[in-house]
Parts: sequence; C-alpha cells; structure tokens
Amino acid sequence: MNLRYLRNELYYQKRRTLAAVIGLSIGIALLVILNALSMAYRSAARVPLQEIGADVTVQRSGNVPKDLTGAVFPCSAVTIRNEEVKRIETLPGVRGVGKAVLLWVFDPNRAWIVLGVEEQNPVGPSILSNSVVQGRFLKEGKPEALVEVSYARQYGIKVGGTISVAKRDYPVVGLVDASRAAKIAVANVYLPLSEAQSLAASSPQVQAVSPFTPVDVNLLFIKADEGRIAELSSALRTMMGKDATIGTPESFLKLLGSLFALSDKFTLAASLIAILVAVLIAFKTMAGNIVEREREIGVLKAVGWNNRNVVTQILAESVVECFMAGILGLLIALVAAYGLSFLKIHIPIPWEMSPRPHFLPGGGDQLFNTLRLPVHVPWTLASFAVVLSVVVGGVTGALLGRNISRIKPSEVLRHE
Amino acid sequence: MNSNGTILRSTDLNKKYGELEVVKSVSLSIGKGEFVCLTGKSGSGKTTLLSLLSGLEQPTSGHVELDGKDICSATEDELALFRRENVGFIFQSFNLIPTLSAWENVALPLFPVKMKGHERKRRATELLERMDLGQRMDHLPSALSGGEKQRVAIARALVTHPKILFADEPTGNLDSATEDAIMEILNRLHTKEGLAVLMVTHEAELAKSADRVIRMHDGEVIS
Repeated sequence: MNLRYLRNELYYQKRRTLAAVIGLSIGIALLVILNALSMAYRSAARVPLQEIGADVTVQRSGNVPKDLTGAVFPCSAVTIRNEEVKRIETLPGVRGVGKAVLLWVFDPNRAWIVLGVEEQNPVGPSILSNSVVQGRFLKEGKPEALVEVSYARQYGIKVGGTISVAKRDYPVVGLVDASRAAKIAVANVYLPLSEAQSLAASSPQVQAVSPFTPVDVNLLFIKADEGRIAELSSALRTMMGKDATIGTPESFLKLLGSLFALSDKFTLAASLIAILVAVLIAFKTMAGNIVEREREIGVLKAVGWNNRNVVTQILAESVVECFMAGILGLLIALVAAYGLSFLKIHIPIPWEMSPRPHFLPGGGDQLFNTLRLPVHVPWTLASFAVVLSVVVGGVTGALLGRNISRIKPSEVLRHE
Repeated sequence: MNSNGTILRSTDLNKKYGELEVVKSVSLSIGKGEFVCLTGKSGSGKTTLLSLLSGLEQPTSGHVELDGKDICSATEDELALFRRENVGFIFQSFNLIPTLSAWENVALPLFPVKMKGHERKRRATELLERMDLGQRMDHLPSALSGGEKQRVAIARALVTHPKILFADEPTGNLDSATEDAIMEILNRLHTKEGLAVLMVTHEAELAKSADRVIRMHDGEVIS
C-alpha cells in the first residue's frame, strides 16, 4: 500500500471521494442520531421518577371514599400492608424502598393534599429537602409540617405559624417549592410519615374503604438496579395483584405515545435500515469509482503490481474514505443532537401518581413534567459509529479490491 | 539476430477468442539489444501478439521464453513480478495515473517494492532528467503535453531496469515533431544502452529505424 498514491487519489478525485464520504456519512449520522434520540427519550422517561428519588413507584387502586370528610385515601392509593412492604424489600433488584402515605384531608374550611414522608430516607419524597425555599425540612420524630410555597402564599401560611390538619395542630417549619421538584405525589402539606400514618389509621373514612394500621402505607418508592426494572415490575405486579399501579420509566415512555414512536424495536429497525442504506451507498459509490479506474488498475498490473498489492491499495483507500465518512457523520450527528437538545418535551403525569380531588381548583388539569430533551451522543455510540464505518470500508474495499484485481491488464489496455 | 543471445523467443504461439483465431502459430525470437518492429494492418493481431510476448496475456497454446524463463507456465503473481523486473511498457495513450505527479508516475512500478521513499524519488528524478523533464517532475499528467507524457511513460518503463521494452504504437497520439523526439529516445536506448525493443507500429516510415521488421497479416507472421 502506497500512502502517497492513496492521499493523491482521495485528494485529486474530490468528486469521487466526496460522493462516497457524504453518502456514507449521512447513513452514519442517521444511525447515531436515531440512537441518541432513543436514548434521550429513554433518559427523559426516567426523569419524573428520578425527581422523586426512585426508579419505580407502587400503589394500589381501591374504592372511592363514600364520605368526603376528614382524612380519606384517593381511590388510586389505598393500603399497602407492612408485610407486603417487607416482601418487596427482599425482591431481586431492589436497592432501597421509600414509604409514604398520601391523604386527602377535608376539613370544614379547607381541603389538604397531605403526604407523609420519611424524613431521612434518601429514597422517595425526602428528596424534597433540596427544594425547601424557606425554613427547614422535617426533622425525625417531630410532629411538624412543611407547606408547598404557592399553597402557603394562597392561604397566607407562614413559617413559624401553625396549621390544623384533621383537627391536629402542626407548626410550619418550612416552605417547599414543589414546582422545582417532582410532579409525582405532589401535595400541599408534607408531614412526617408516622403522623400521616396515624391520621390515616384514625380515620373512619379510610378504614371503611381500606383497613389500615399505623405501620401500613399507600405509596412506595423503589430504587432499583437499572437493568432489572422490567423484571422487578413484573414481580411487583404478580405480588400486588391486578389493582396495583406500577410506575416505571417504561410506563412513562408509553405515555409519550406517538411522539415516542422510537421504541426499542423502531430504533433497532431504523438503525438497521440506516446501516444498510449506508453500506449500500458506500458500496455503490465505491463500485462506480472502481469501474472508472479499471484502466488504471490494468496499468498497475502491467507495471508489476500483483493482486495483493491492488487489493491492499483499494482496501486502504476504502477504509480511509469510510473513516472520514464516520467522522463526518459523527460531526453531523453531534450538531443535530445539539440542535435537538433545545427541544422541550412534556411528559404527562398519570393522575394516579399525583391524585388531586377533581372538584378543587385545577384538580382536573393534566400535570406535565416539562424538560429539555436530554439528547447527547455518548462516546460508546460515537466509537461504535466510527468503528462501524471502518468495518464497512474494510469489507467494501476487500470485496471491490478482490473483484477488480482479477481483471486482465491486456483486456482493459487493449482499446486505445 | 543479435550475436549476444536471445532475450525473447516464442514457439508455435496461438491465441483464440472463442472460435476466432487472433494469433496463429507464431514462432519468433528477438536478440538482446535488438530493435524489432512489428507491423501490419489494423486487426492483424499485432497488439495481441505483444501482450502474449510480454506476459500480459496467456496464449491458448505455444510457449514464450523471456530471458530463458517460460512465462506461459507462471502464476499470475509470478508474472507480475517477472514483468516488474524484466519488462517495460509504453502505450499509445501513455496510461499515466492522473492523480500522480510525473515523478510519482515514474516511480509507480517501484511502489510495491520495499525501498526507501527517497530512493524511489531519486531513481524517478534521474530518469526524468534524462528525458529532459527535470522541471516538470511535480506536474500532474493533465499539465503535460503529449510528448512530455510519453517521455514520462518511457521513464516509467525504464525505472526497474528492464531487459526489454514493449512499445505499442508509442507515437500514435503524437504530432510528427514529437514523434521524431520519441523515436530518437527509443533509438538511443537501443543503440547506447543496449536495450531490446519490440515496437508495434503500422507506419512503415517508423519501421525503417528498426534492426528488423516482422510483418503480420491475419494473425500470422508473413515475413
């Protein structure tokens, strides 16, 4: 293989080189961007749960409360028994479990959405401690309350004041900006878990719909091994029964609906088509180029190049061209990924995951988690694209080189 | 024949394309340092015979011995090596590689040879200077005149120090003044450097400068 010849061939035959490089680079760019988009949507679908410090949520649907007075359970979140929680903690893939109790409290003058949270557990709603805008987060073992900032503003609740929830008084120790945090399990008031459990256990309306003891919960947040989420979801569904609502990144992906037609199968199929198109373009362009060079190859053989010399030269040219195409395709994909990263997507939050009484103001509105599409090209995908280009170049060059090296110089040099 | 011995010998050489007999029972020999012209009308089989004698093509039957080696029994790779080491070619349409400069075209047969790049360039440069192309070494073929291109092609044919030069209508694409210059170079290579030359031409005038003329008609050597 002669580098000078290779360089000159690529440099002086710009039309040929550009046709091959651009053709393949488009295919490579398509492959990279499709996969980057797929990963971006997948990553975006994890955000709603990640914001609440979990990978999976578990709740169970039940009956609608008959009497909307005092503390009641939303029909989408009824009792999960403590024994069930213990069994869930032992399931394969579970790394941590956060417990919560979600209540609607209808007091004579006000309705509250109350979420009882574990103050110290890093899994689940205690992640809200990062969104405290005034005062402090809940301290363990203290009967105190944290109020959502816009709710507090609406009703003139201040840090240092006291609120009365289901006839129990709680000092307000902080305000939390829920708009900066999760859209799942949003509440007006956050209490220590034990307080919410106690409110639920002492409520006849709760007990009438779903028997509840002070150690039970109605919402679970699970941190899980990423690769085992599907398996865990299936195990949870089996264990919890048909009334269970299991929230996973996959379920959010489905909620993206037609926008996220880029499911695994689609991405795989589109990637295969992109690769195939890229290979065909590369092969066709290079085959055309080679045919144009029959006479040149005849000269090489006449002056003493053997078949191996010819194949090596063509192979090297093809590999370098395809490598350049891979780099160009990658650059195109990076630019496209940068452009696409400005797109905003709105992930709908299912009502069951953030239930609000529909008769309250805004209660029937669909909640969305809006975020910029996290498109980026990971180095593994970038490396794969470049390696794939080189492999395409190698295979194409070897096939075409082998074919063209068989020509007889006398045949192509005969016709002057 | 030259008294120094034979460089090329063919025995009962035949070439058929299907039913068409292009070369019929050609037996000839060319001595070392001899200048032989192969003439005949268009389609008489001159170029095919040249291809057979130079190892570019295999005969249907018969034998060719080049410098004592039977090239008809050689493999393709052996033939390639043999051509590189023993044979130089000059074609009517020059057949230079358009993307290589003059000196790179001259060095083309040396590209597969393991040698330092500067040594290749030195040999190519030396030959181009002998062809009075010292100032045109870095030019692409597209920037050279017809005569210059053919001189580059001659330099390429000589770069591996061949024993015999095969020239197929080397002046066919040139004007008469350039034709004379090319013929002068070929004659000089033959007379001063003792190189055997087998030149195909259909111009009787050019054939006059040869030691011997072989005439072909319908694939047969007639004189």
